[in-house]
Amino acid sequence: MAISAAGIIFSSLNNNTHSRLTGDRTVAAIPFACRYRLIDFALSNLVNANISNINIVANYNYRSLLEHIGSGKDWDLARRGGGVKLISPFQTAVNADSKMFTTRMEALKNMKEYISEFKEEFVVMMDSDTVLNIDIADVIKKHEKTGAAITIVTQSLKPGAVMKTPRMMISSVAGRVTDIAMDQAYNERNPEISLNIFVMKTSYLKLLIEEAEAYNLGSLTSFMLKNCKSESYRTYKYSGYVASIYSFNDYYAHSMELVKSEKARDSIFGKKEFPIFTRVHNSAPTAHKSSAVVENSMIADECTIEGTVINSVIFRDVVIEKGAVVKNSVLFHGTHIGKNANLNCIVTDKDVFVTDGVTLSGNDNMPFYINKKAKI
Amino acid sequence: MYVKKECIAMLLAGGQGSRLYDLTKQIAKPAVSFGGKYKIIDFPLSNCINSGIDTVGVLTQYQPLALNEYVANGAPWDLDRMRGGLTVLPPYQGNKNSEWYKGTANAIYQNINFIKQYNPDYVLILSGDHIYRMDYKLMLEQHKKTGAVCTVATITVPIEEASRFGICNTNFDGSIYEFEEKPKVPKNNQASMGIYIFNTKTLIEYLEADEADENSSNDFGKNIIPNLLHNGEKLYSYKFEGYWKDVGTISSLWEANMDLIGDEPVINLGDQHKRIYSKNTARPPQYIGPKAKVKNSLISEGSRIFGTVENSVLSGGVVVEAGAIVKDSVIMDDVVIKKGAAVYSAIVDADSVIEAGQTVGVENAPKDNITVIASGSIVAN
Repeated sequence: MAISAAGIIFSSLNNNTHSRLTGDRTVAAIPFACRYRLIDFALSNLVNANISNINIVANYNYRSLLEHIGSGKDWDLARRGGGVKLISPFQTAVNADSKMFTTRMEALKNMKEYISEFKEEFVVMMDSDTVLNIDIADVIKKHEKTGAAITIVTQSLKPGAVMKTPRMMISSVAGRVTDIAMDQAYNERNPEISLNIFVMKTSYLKLLIEEAEAYNLGSLTSFMLKNCKSESYRTYKYSGYVASIYSFNDYYAHSMELVKSEKARDSIFGKKEFPIFTRVHNSAPTAHKSSAVVENSMIADECTIEGTVINSVIFRDVVIEKGAVVKNSVLFHGTHIGKNANLNCIVTDKDVFVTDGVTLSGNDNMPFYINKKAKI
Repeated sequence: MYVKKECIAMLLAGGQGSRLYDLTKQIAKPAVSFGGKYKIIDFPLSNCINSGIDTVGVLTQYQPLALNEYVANGAPWDLDRMRGGLTVLPPYQGNKNSEWYKGTANAIYQNINFIKQYNPDYVLILSGDHIYRMDYKLMLEQHKKTGAVCTVATITVPIEEASRFGICNTNFDGSIYEFEEKPKVPKNNQASMGIYIFNTKTLIEYLEADEADENSSNDFGKNIIPNLLHNGEKLYSYKFEGYWKDVGTISSLWEANMDLIGDEPVINLGDQHKRIYSKNTARPPQYIGPKAKVKNSLISEGSRIFGTVENSVLSGGVVVEAGAIVKDSVIMDDVVIKKGAAVYSAIVDADSVIEAGQTVGVENAPKDNITVIASGSIVAN
């Protein structure tokens, strides 16, 4: 039986926290893992559950996101009915002071008319800054079986874990949500954080928006907090690898983890029936030349490697010349590393040019970022 | 309703490629993998779109399944068009007669109606057997300038190999006075590349005459070109300079793959101005393990290397486990080379598994002694 579900992806709720990587792109369009953008993971998760009505809520700086998604063809979402749509904030004559969305609820209120036309039975909501490869069809199936009003996908944390950024913390008893909190330093015996994947019936979402309007609730969290005692909200615990990317440091740490942990790579890329799709480019295979030394690295297509690359993530069309050494670094599309240059703990944005002999170094917990198109 | 096109291409992709043995048992030669992520047919198709030709008929016959699926609607080459684009042309059943394509000329003859739909001034005939990058626009410009009814693209080959080709004997101005198919004693070394531009009217006229001739073998090189010359038509050769390789044999296919590697490769696929397009897959990036050694090789998406790879071309999704060695070889999609196995001077076709500790091929073998492993094989004790 085909699942009747629509998808909503929030593309940019945390734009400000990434500052450097989101200088001219929205969170969803941040390049990740050699050939992807963050949104590819949420999009692919939905596509792999046969969901073909997918709505991406865009806020600002979404030009590169638009370019990336195109017609949706690369995700098999160029459809006559449904497919992928970008929902941007809009102003009307009566609503000229509409602002950017800062919460999910604001976006949902703005989309109310549009959502009222959804014909699908269920709605799946996801964020674009959570990288994972989850079987969404299974989440919907469990949701249907338990008859919950909302199912929230969660991840268990080690007891006493300290969060660097505020997260929606969930307390549950036998899968039933008992409490919700936003806390940075949460200490509980069985802490669970929300992965911000929500499944509910479309009819429930419509009621939810109306109630939020009636009670002037500004966020989904406040709505759920208000109702979690009386309604059945349930958790779906996910135990696979999750990269929650809320800051530049998160970004760097998870890039390094993908290189270092086979388990992480397998969890994201090793599921044959759940491929991660992305915009495809016509690029030639990567050339490892006779002087190349490559160890423990992920490399995209169309690179030319003459130097040494260790523990690094190399995007498309990167050139690393003879004698250059690149360690613990992430090099975006089009980076050029000149002869005998030396990089350690560096993230270069698109089209950075490092001239011959230059040495650049950051630190494990303080990686150094280099602006798009910079010449060093 | 069809829009008139100045020039359309007819790509002969029905070749069996019997000299590729196991590699073409289940697929037609143009569908054979090449250079990591390409198929042979990507080259003429990409040349078409890079030359401004947006209408291409692909004539298939032998084992067309993989080929049909691969070219599909032409999207990878930007040939999925409302007007024109790519059309697969298999042999068909008519109400009077139905037959397989008897020869290259007969294949085009059976699709005259396809050509007429676009009312083109010129028809470019191509084959799907060669690796080369060519701007057909330049050839068409010469064709128009000389006022020829037919232009034959030629390439300089070593004189000792000339007797394997159709040889064009030309006057000073490039006009052809004689065409010899595989001459025993060649008069020169200008070989036909199997690429022709015809004025449409002349082409149809000669194809119809050729079809009426019961003794004809319905072949461009053997019949159509000699008939044109015999009747005093104006034929010119178009000298092509650049890389061109017939990959019809195991050794030439292997050699052409080897031409892609090296610090200064003979043919550079990364050249962004003459891009070769192919169907792109949703594979993850390649991963090179902590103890891997990869030198002088092309590695494609989805491959995971933990062992040693030298002087080789690897397609997508190949796994080389720790301690395994791949040298001077061409490894196609999703092959797994297990721990401690060794592959030397070989072409390993898709989905094969080389079990742990096994050895395939002979180290430093000469090019006429390349080992071939058919697709889906399991090499074990």
